[in-house]
Amino acid sequence: MDSVISIRNLTKNYGKNVAIQGINLDVMRGEIFGYLGPNGSGKTTTIRTLLDFIRPTKGVVSVLGLDSRADSAQIRKRIGYLPGDIALYEKMTGRQLLKYIDGLRGGLDWNFVIQLAERFEANIDQPIRTLSRGNKQKIGLIQAFMHAPELVIMDEPTNGLDPLMQQEFYRLVEETNKKGATIFISSHIVPEIERLCSKVGIIRKGELVAVEEVEKLKEKALRKITFVFDMPISKEEFESLPGVIDVEVEGTALKCTIKGPVDALVKAASWHKVIKIISDDGNLEEIFLDFYAG
Amino acid sequence: MMLRNVFVKSLWDQKRSLVWWCLGIGLMIIITMLFYPSIREMTELNEIFATDENPLMKVFVGDITDITSPEGFVNSQLLIFMVPLLYLVFAIGIGSGSIAGEEEKGTLDFLLAHPLTRESVIVQKFLAMNFAVAWIGVFAWASLVIGAAIVDMEIGYSRLAAATFSGVLLGITYGGIAFLFGAAFGKRSLSIGITGALGIGGYLLNVLGPIVGWLEPFTKISPFYYYSSSDPLANGLDWSHMAVLLVVILLMGGMAILSFRRRDLAVG
Ligand SMILES: Nc1ncnc2c1ncn2[C@@H]1O[C@H](COP(=O)(O)OP(=O)(O)OP(=O)(O)O)[C@@H](O)[C@H]1O
Ligand SMILES: [Mg+2]
Repeated sequence: MDSVISIRNLTKNYGKNVAIQGINLDVMRGEIFGYLGPNGSGKTTTIRTLLDFIRPTKGVVSVLGLDSRADSAQIRKRIGYLPGDIALYEKMTGRQLLKYIDGLRGGLDWNFVIQLAERFEANIDQPIRTLSRGNKQKIGLIQAFMHAPELVIMDEPTNGLDPLMQQEFYRLVEETNKKGATIFISSHIVPEIERLCSKVGIIRKGELVAVEEVEKLKEKALRKITFVFDMPISKEEFESLPGVIDVEVEGTALKCTIKGPVDALVKAASWHKVIKIISDDGNLEEIFLDFYAG
Repeated sequence: MMLRNVFVKSLWDQKRSLVWWCLGIGLMIIITMLFYPSIREMTELNEIFATDENPLMKVFVGDITDITSPEGFVNSQLLIFMVPLLYLVFAIGIGSGSIAGEEEKGTLDFLLAHPLTRESVIVQKFLAMNFAVAWIGVFAWASLVIGAAIVDMEIGYSRLAAATFSGVLLGITYGGIAFLFGAAFGKRSLSIGITGALGIGGYLLNVLGPIVGWLEPFTKISPFYYYSSSDPLANGLDWSHMAVLLVVILLMGGMAILSFRRRDLAVG
């Protein structure tokens, strides 16, 4: 596997203000990479460095094996980009805008553009200034995907999209990824990253605090499990089991939080007659909150 | 219309403004020209102008001795003040917004997400600014020609063209300065402020120079000096003066490229 985005020791200062510091990151071909962090943590700063809009204070960045500064135009030919706070040419209609980009890029498959517009139910015949926030975002998404790029970089892509369109977007990302494209998404929405990404990088106060496969992270996640038995049970039986924290007994119900494998807990419960088990899917949110809080 | 590059797109953005400016400048010129027949008869005006030492007068109508001649009339009523003022306002408006306007609106991130080098964006936008000012110039020239025909003024079309060309270069010079400041700092109002001040300074320097003795040597740093001192309307173009303006314009474009490719872009 080759590295599609490679960030080495990247630091960006704004005057005395450190936006990101010492970031090292590799995104491999074929990954859907989630870049997760709270507001102001440096997601946009990192992404805008990839596009050569801002220049590193220290460090080097390469995209598709090309130098982010020297070969920027070549890189941008091969990638799709959705800015975080997208601003489009308000006087143009979506169609005019997309045609304009067609002119700049050359060789677009216009059928695919129309297909994308239909998929997102995007209104491309009205001046962009008259569109709602979410409908502008759709135009932004179309232009990021329409030339079938090898790598799509998106800064908070579901901003403004309704739940239906979010699902459509997830499907598009998955399809595009299956065709071989690498996807890089920044977000502060944990379930979105969980749903979509194979790997996640967590950034906090300008520093990358973890890079991990989402599956591995989930194994480490805290789960809330409730057992309902046919008769009252004692708390002590379960308290000392590995990974179990926070046990509560209410009559015949046992509520606990567990970190890591659930095997021991389930085996201990099976000594009794179990009527019902309620378990949530490992909740990453808490892990992230942990990371966020440092 | 097919918008296939930044140059065409930049002009497309200006299309409405271009129509209004052409209309405005054309009407202003033709209406002014309509006064010529009544001025032509008033030869005593020339004596008043010749003997009047009021410096304020010279600031706005130039150092005129012969207002009843076609050249004197057109120069004093149009080319000394009003027409270049309009060129400047128009050119500074476009120049300051070319880069900084897009940056402030946030569309620059969007544009540069596509495979364009920053140099190419600068060059195309700079050329579009040049083209738009020249376009206005063509309309101004046509209006001068039409006005002259209406009032039966004896003045050569080519001389009117020479004076217009000089004015267009003056406009582009200031447009170029505004473009440079916009590209270098990404702030439109800053660019308008600085260039506007330089415009007023350049104008005053040029008209006050001949009146206020100690200013005289400095008039040559004013672009207005190269615009009007050779009196293209009466004498045709002085190419050495035009060359000075052209060099300044190229310099502004070149410096815009250098400053724009070095810096971080703002997010709007
Ligand atoms: N142009 C700038 N000048 C000064 N400081 C800046 C500038 N741009 C960003 N910063 C600072 O850099 C830090 C990182 O900002 P960035 O926009 O990268 O965060 P983010 O993770 O994208 O946040 P959000 O989730 O709100 O979009 C913030 O503290 C921000 O204030
Ligand atoms: Mg951001």
